[in-house]
Amino acid sequence: MSGLSSSSDAPVLVVDGMNVDIAVPAGALHAVSDVSFSVRPKETLCLVGESGCGKTITSLALMRLLPRTATLTARKIAFEGHDLAKISERAMARLRGYRIGMIFQDPMTSLNPVYTIGNQLEEVYLRHHRGASRKQARERAEYLLSRVGIINAGQRLGQFPHQLSGGLRQRMMIAMMLMCEPALIIADEPTTALDVTVQVQILQLLRGLQDEFNMAMILITHNLGVVARTADQVAVMYAGRVVEQGSAEDVFHNPAHPYTRGLLECMPKHGQAASMGRLGSIPGIVPSLVGNQRGCSFRNRCSLQMPTCHEGQIDLRPARGDHFYRCLLEPGATKPRPVSLGSAA
Amino acid sequence: MSALAMKERPQVATAIEPLAFETRDLSKVFHIGRKWYAGGQPLRAVDGVSLSLRRGEVLAIVGESGCGKTTLSRMMLGLQPPSSGEIFVGGEPLTNVDRKVFARRVQPVFQDPYSSLNPRKTIGEIIRDPLLIHNIGTAKEQVAEVEAMMERVGLARRQIHSYPSQLSGGQRQRVAIARALIIKPEIIICDEPTSALDVSVQAQILNLLQSLREQMNLTYLFISHDLSVVEYMSDYVAVMYLGRIVEAGPTSEVMNAPRHPYTRALMKSILTPEPGLGLPDIHLGRGFPDPLNPPSGCRFHPRCIDAMDKCSSIVPRTLTDGEKIIECHLHDPEMAKA
Ligand SMILES: Nc1ncnc2c1ncn2[C@@H]1O[C@H](COP(=O)(O)OP(=O)(O)OP(=O)(O)O)[C@@H](O)[C@H]1O
Ligand SMILES: Nc1ncnc2c1ncn2[C@@H]1O[C@H](COP(=O)(O)OP(=O)(O)O)[C@@H](O)[C@H]1O
Ligand code: SF4
Ligand code: SF4
Ligand SMILES: [Mg+2]
Ligand SMILES: [Mg+2]
Repeated sequence: MSGLSSSSDAPVLVVDGMNVDIAVPAGALHAVSDVSFSVRPKETLCLVGESGCGKTITSLALMRLLPRTATLTARKIAFEGHDLAKISERAMARLRGYRIGMIFQDPMTSLNPVYTIGNQLEEVYLRHHRGASRKQARERAEYLLSRVGIINAGQRLGQFPHQLSGGLRQRMMIAMMLMCEPALIIADEPTTALDVTVQVQILQLLRGLQDEFNMAMILITHNLGVVARTADQVAVMYAGRVVEQGSAEDVFHNPAHPYTRGLLECMPKHGQAASMGRLGSIPGIVPSLVGNQRGCSFRNRCSLQMPTCHEGQIDLRPARGDHFYRCLLEPGATKPRPVSLGSAA
Repeated sequence: MSALAMKERPQVATAIEPLAFETRDLSKVFHIGRKWYAGGQPLRAVDGVSLSLRRGEVLAIVGESGCGKTTLSRMMLGLQPPSSGEIFVGGEPLTNVDRKVFARRVQPVFQDPYSSLNPRKTIGEIIRDPLLIHNIGTAKEQVAEVEAMMERVGLARRQIHSYPSQLSGGQRQRVAIARALIIKPEIIICDEPTSALDVSVQAQILNLLQSLREQMNLTYLFISHDLSVVEYMSDYVAVMYLGRIVEAGPTSEVMNAPRHPYTRALMKSILTPEPGLGLPDIHLGRGFPDPLNPPSGCRFHPRCIDAMDKCSSIVPRTLTDGEKIIECHLHDPEMAKA
């Protein structure tokens, strides 16, 4: 977002104006609209929002793993001198799994059940290191399994994925990702299926690895607690758009968009019992993304909506400094009062 | 010895009204691998659990994946026979209660609103089914009842002819709740009713469950792995680890002053939305135990930061203090002396 930083912390990835449309029987589904962000080495950017708001499609777009029915466009997606929106599939295949690592919610979907863990780790290494020996690959696998906290690493190499618990499988996915040297990790709900204690341990592991290997991470989650405790930058997504973006401090301490505030109010707080009153909630559900949208996509659930919310396009505008939001009201407003349209940035 | 306090509670309560639900020393052993008679390896999924639930209360069960929460609830629903121990509903042994009578009193709401609804039936048919099964009311009355219940759980009347696939996750969970409530049960057993839902939808469903509870004087057994949800929803909480209740008590007491090292780790794992705090140090070893080979002594000892020498050899006693239960040598005065 700013070009003033020194080259050492220049962004690893710059996404500018990314759109993904998916062809569905009813027309074009605008799964991702006008999404822009950047992420620097060692930094964590969290994409957060309800299910169906476009988080996974955003991550698949960055990996160029979208379904065939999807169309990706962007002003640019800059990564290590490449434009990911434009490079060939062959060039992309060289980056995927090598310079860009992925972790998914369910590691079983990306692990092959018929090969041992050792085999799968070695394969990744050999695919991207021409001329490396299997012995070198095995040594790296063993080192990384112990680095991600798997006890008896040598013994585990001979096991199959289904023989591991969910937490162990996720550690193993992380080890697999590290077999190469990714500059960027894309993690889509990596801890959603895990126990709360294991979740903390996995997030801690990722944090430590980021520092050790100088990696940037895009962490996708619907859990605001995970966001607050891991993010440097946050992008709140709603109906395919970023509706609020900024540092974790800004977004959590001064949420500018009614949707962000609504999400925070839905969380049960420590010390809050039902006898003390109901949880805040956002009525209704995410609207259909098929067809052209006019006005604010959050309006049918927003208690502050005004007639002007139904018209035109609402741009992302600054709340303060590097903190942006997409709403016609003043940042953090609690009453519906339109700002003069003339002053919109 | 194991269920002292829990046994005292019924005696106090029976004077007024019998407990809504009670389990005494309930266990479930699965035999893994070969058939049990050929000596399959025993897995004690639930191991000597004694709980009681008073009318109108919410008792939460919390614990990590595989600790036995679902197995416990399935036994309480009569869907799985216990290996040993007893279950009482309204003071009567479950085995003596007629299936249909039981179903009218106890109804489940499951975690997965996708797989728990028949995809070939309309919402109206799904909600009406229990009335048909139990032969309650005329056709006209049944339809009126379905419509009233849909309104109560926040479903639009026009959705009566929709199919589950046309609804969102939250709406499906509302259907599951409507189906459970239509025959006016006393007790609802909820197994992770919101863990498949977004936080916004979770809040809607938790609020709904609370309102319904107040309006209909319902009793909930509420299973969750999310302590912040448990704190909001429950009056009592029981923390389960590898098949056993290791700590239990009034929710506010357990949450404000957790005593068992495992409960403390669970509390520390709650990620509150406070930026700048970073990730908590939960003080917990990472070795997840193998339920087929539970650790000796205290089952939690390989992960416990407070473990002492005796923890790997001596099984902690169940200590009770009023409504509170704890199984840990740290809180056993006898052990402190030893
Ligand atoms: N039908 C079965 N046969 C064999 N083992 C079983 C069976 N059902 C459950 N188990 C085992 O019993 C233990 C307890 O399982 P249970 O499903 O009750 O856990 P849970 O606490 O509900 O976990 P989760 O949070 O993942 O839902 C586990 O070790 C599980 O693998
Ligand atoms: N293969 C697909 N075909 C059609 N629509 C899809 C497909 N995958 C996702 N979508 C739609 O794209 C939108 C964004 O989905 P997704 O990125 O998976 O959301 P999230 O990860 O935030 O839950 C949703 O409306 C979803 O229904
Ligand atoms: S633009 Fe209008 S409808 Fe949208 S969030 Fe702001 S006030 Fe609500
Ligand atoms: S008995 Fe020992 S190992 Fe078990 S929880 Fe208490 S201190 Fe920890
Ligand atoms: Mg997703
Ligand atoms: Mg379960």
